[in-house]
Amino acid sequence: MKTLSRIFGLLAVAAAMLATPAVAQSERAISLSGDVKVVKSVTDASGQATIEYGDTSVVVPGDRLIFRTNYKNTSAELVENFVVTNPLPSAVVLASDSAADLQVSVDGGETFGLLADLTVAEEDGSTRAANASDATHLRWVLDVIQPGETGQITFYAIVR
Amino acid sequence: MKRTKQLLGAVSSVALIALSTSPVYAAGTTAGDTITNTVTVDYQVGGFDQTEIDATDTITVDRKIDLTVAETGFIGRTQVSPNETRAVIEFDVTNLSNDTVDLALTAVNAAGNDFTLSNIVIFVDGDGDGEYDAGEEVTFLDEVVADGVTTVLVAADVPITATEGQTADIVLTAQAHAAGAAGLGAIYNAGSTSGDGDANTEDGTGAAANIDTVLADADGDTDGVNDGAFSATDGYVVVAADLTVTKQSRIIDDGVGGTFPNAKAIPGAVVEYCIIVSNGAGAATATGVTVSDVLPVDLEIDDTFGIFINGTVASGYCAADGTDDANSNFTDNALGTPDEVDGTLSDLAANATSTLYFRATIN
Repeated sequence: MKTLSRIFGLLAVAAAMLATPAVAQSERAISLSGDVKVVKSVTDASGQATIEYGDTSVVVPGDRLIFRTNYKNTSAELVENFVVTNPLPSAVVLASDSAADLQVSVDGGETFGLLADLTVAEEDGSTRAANASDATHLRWVLDVIQPGETGQITFYAIVR
Repeated sequence: MKRTKQLLGAVSSVALIALSTSPVYAAGTTAGDTITNTVTVDYQVGGFDQTEIDATDTITVDRKIDLTVAETGFIGRTQVSPNETRAVIEFDVTNLSNDTVDLALTAVNAAGNDFTLSNIVIFVDGDGDGEYDAGEEVTFLDEVVADGVTTVLVAADVPITATEGQTADIVLTAQAHAAGAAGLGAIYNAGSTSGDGDANTEDGTGAAANIDTVLADADGDTDGVNDGAFSATDGYVVVAADLTVTKQSRIIDDGVGGTFPNAKAIPGAVVEYCIIVSNGAGAATATGVTVSDVLPVDLEIDDTFGIFINGTVASGYCAADGTDDANSNFTDNALGTPDEVDGTLSDLAANATSTLYFRATIN
């Protein structure tokens, strides 16, 4: 038997760049860094599937991506009412598993809620239940981040 | 309390790129497009709103090569006759890649054919008449856009030796090549995926040099997965006429008092010949059915009686019906040279039977 590794992308060449804010962080209580990885399911010869996170040197439609944002409270103060808003790039659709338990918006960021509670207006005036492909924004709300505390927020999306 | 909002210059430009993302096709986001993710964080320290901060990340979408070929038009094998020329079958060739490609086309006899098709030509039916015309042949499709579908026709000749029920198929293969340059570009296959070794700079500029190629096509009838090619099969089935001919004779009158069935084969006796032509079940309609008979040299055609055609059969013998073919189709040669009879019957459908009968005198 041969190893199958064709699910998402093939070659991993360059390391993904981490985009970081270009301004000095010293005045800020929070530092942010984000990255994107291609999620591959690799099945070995024994049929055991493992998940690998590859760099984004090769990304094609249908690939599953994980978007990660790391945050850190770099100050000595409590950070409160920490709200992360993430408009979804138009070239990706939110993965259904991420859609199930994140706060999402289907109206351009006006209102947020669980996808199951949201509806979408059709052109003919009727409404239907929202689905993952309707999501336009994601939001995370953390009440308190302790000094020095770090964390990560993630979501999965699929390249259209 | 008042929230302050500060957008970085670099972030603004990235946001503009994100807004200009191309429309989404069924084949997916266009190769070279960028995906920029921006998160914005609002927070408070000591009960006061702080300056909003952002983080962004950009990736470039690469080239995914995928395509299909499928038979279209008449689904199933197209009926042909032996010796038919330029018999046409149709395929749809679809570019499922997220980029424009050139598609090289090849058409060959499939393995296991009952007979060999010849003069195989691939063409795009520019004038829409469904037939091959000189100048319509193609070897590749140039600049097929994402989701583009092109109907490709294949014409082939059927040998005269082909018989009823035999089949022969053609495999049409489309192979993806790089678009852009005039003519057919570089091939996209496992040995040559342009740009695969290049590192993406992921700078959001979508530079072509940073676009890798990923082969993601399924396996067609004769090609494998992820080879940049797809193949499909369509073909022909021969529906031939299946004619059988029988010839019988009766001595109608021996001239000395005996009549059928008691007449004797003596000089001066009148002989009737009955030729029955039948077409088999399920066979193609036979057209231009011509019956030719050269009489024994010692028989003289009865040109007064004439030659009756398109009659029916009764008890296995020609019934006395049909139409006199106006005596026009025989050759009454001089004594010592055989007389000849020719008649052209009406078209014979499957299971149909027709007759031709005439009389002659024994010299």
